[in-house]
Amino acid sequence: MGTILVFLAGILFLAGILFIKPRAKQDLKWKTVVNWVLYVLWYAITGIGISFIYINSSVGHVKATSTAIFLFLGLSLVIAIILARLLGFLGKTRKEINPSIKA
Amino acid sequence: MVRFSDGEGSQQDQKFRMNRRKFLKAGAASALTAGMVGAMKALPAEAAEAAANATGVQNGAKSKLHPTADYGGAGVKFVEHNDQWLGTTKIVGNIKNIHEGDTGFSQANRGKYGPDAQKGYYHYHFVMKHPFNGAIASFALSLAPDFMVSGIPSPQKLRIPDPEQMSQHIKDCAYFLRADEVGIGKMPPYAYYSHKAPSQDDLIKDDLSNSVPVTERLPYVIVVMIDQHLETMLASTGYDGISAAQSMRSYHTTGVISVILANYIRNLGYNARAHHFTNYAAVMAPCIMAAGLGELSRTGDCVAHPRLGFRHKVAAVTTDLPLVPDKPIDFGLLDFCRVCGKCADNCPSGAITHDKDMVEYNGYLRWNSNFQKCTEFRVTNKDGSSCGRCMKVCPWDSKEQSWFHTAGTWIGSKGEASSRLLKQIDDMFGYGDEQIEKYKWWLEWPERYGLPTN
Repeated sequence: MGTILVFLAGILFLAGILFIKPRAKQDLKWKTVVNWVLYVLWYAITGIGISFIYINSSVGHVKATSTAIFLFLGLSLVIAIILARLLGFLGKTRKEINPSIKA
Repeated sequence: MVRFSDGEGSQQDQKFRMNRRKFLKAGAASALTAGMVGAMKALPAEAAEAAANATGVQNGAKSKLHPTADYGGAGVKFVEHNDQWLGTTKIVGNIKNIHEGDTGFSQANRGKYGPDAQKGYYHYHFVMKHPFNGAIASFALSLAPDFMVSGIPSPQKLRIPDPEQMSQHIKDCAYFLRADEVGIGKMPPYAYYSHKAPSQDDLIKDDLSNSVPVTERLPYVIVVMIDQHLETMLASTGYDGISAAQSMRSYHTTGVISVILANYIRNLGYNARAHHFTNYAAVMAPCIMAAGLGELSRTGDCVAHPRLGFRHKVAAVTTDLPLVPDKPIDFGLLDFCRVCGKCADNCPSGAITHDKDMVEYNGYLRWNSNFQKCTEFRVTNKDGSSCGRCMKVCPWDSKEQSWFHTAGTWIGSKGEASSRLLKQIDDMFGYGDEQIEKYKWWLEWPERYGLPTN
């Protein structure tokens, strides 16, 4: 089970890299670095959080489970939103599909 | 038009393909060779063993059954035996051997802590009032007679290996008999009682005249340690009906192991005496520290192991069998206890001190906990049978094994600042003071928890 989960985690990590790669490269190098650093950070926090929540809930640590849900998944969500904004998944104005359709 | 670069590219491709093919061939050949070597068992056993044991910490002679010490992630340093320190406990004067009749429970039995404590302790009422706890304790009492713990060694010494191999063998015997941890120490002479306490009937009359002097002085001590059961502790308040049973679980098992080990050593022709819950001739805390199994905690008398905390009980065998002692250990517990104090915050009797610094007691430094309050509460507890609340809440004791607790104990073993961080994390996640109902397996008889009426 553990081996399968590690394999799955690795596959998801690589899939994430392939997914953001076309958008990660920016005109300035530091922006590209920020994108990748945020991706690794987001992945690590999400992975740690899921593992932490799973183990604590299976043992029965109620407060640890609920605190971890807020802490790790909250952080994960915040970083995911920032990353999505930097990569252009969020907040870009929509391109007009047909500029001729105007009132 | 043929571009030059196209031809160059195809040559490079071909070169690459050849390289890859060679690589695959080499890989297949290596795998095949390794498989054949494995199948033929061509690797010498010593080489395989060396490879398997290349990593991991060990203290003293290496056990075959537990080749590496499991310190649960804590950073552990080994300390040399000397006259000024026992592990991390500083010796500041002459440590006197104490009389067994002056220990907490004996004082209760003698009436020094008042009539309620005397009633509560008499014939182990505080344990026996719970039928399950009483059942285990009654068995442990069957190990009490002197002929169980000591005896005359076989007149003919059997042939034994050198001390290193013998130490390994003794550790493996204890692991085979289901010990969770085993250590061998140089027996501190001050760990022996000066006198064995007389019978309970003499004690209740506060008559120590029938005390028996302890004259034994053997050079080594073998300490066996058994966990008090994590899930039970997670479900318990720490002072409900199961509390004494947790102690008895470890007392009776370590007792059995120590009696068998002592018997075995005597059969080999060497002196050996078992010390366990129902028949001690020595104080266990210094023996545990000498055997490299822990450090003295804030509670003042509980010795915490890096993996188990003080969620354990021990028994010991003192012997003159030639052995190689382990080294005492330092995993930063003193720094941790100095900043934590969770046991003191949660102690229902207020017995554990909040002091930052240790005080001198009988020639060594320890935290100034009040053993009278502790004993009184344990023997008169009306909410259950005995008490182990400090054990339940201690951040070193209250965890299942997982990667984040391993990381946590590593952090906690790295000085005061990191200890403070671990304590805050422990509080934030609510470890220690929760009761996990799904593990509550035992029965309660609260109507039996009062003091005896006669």
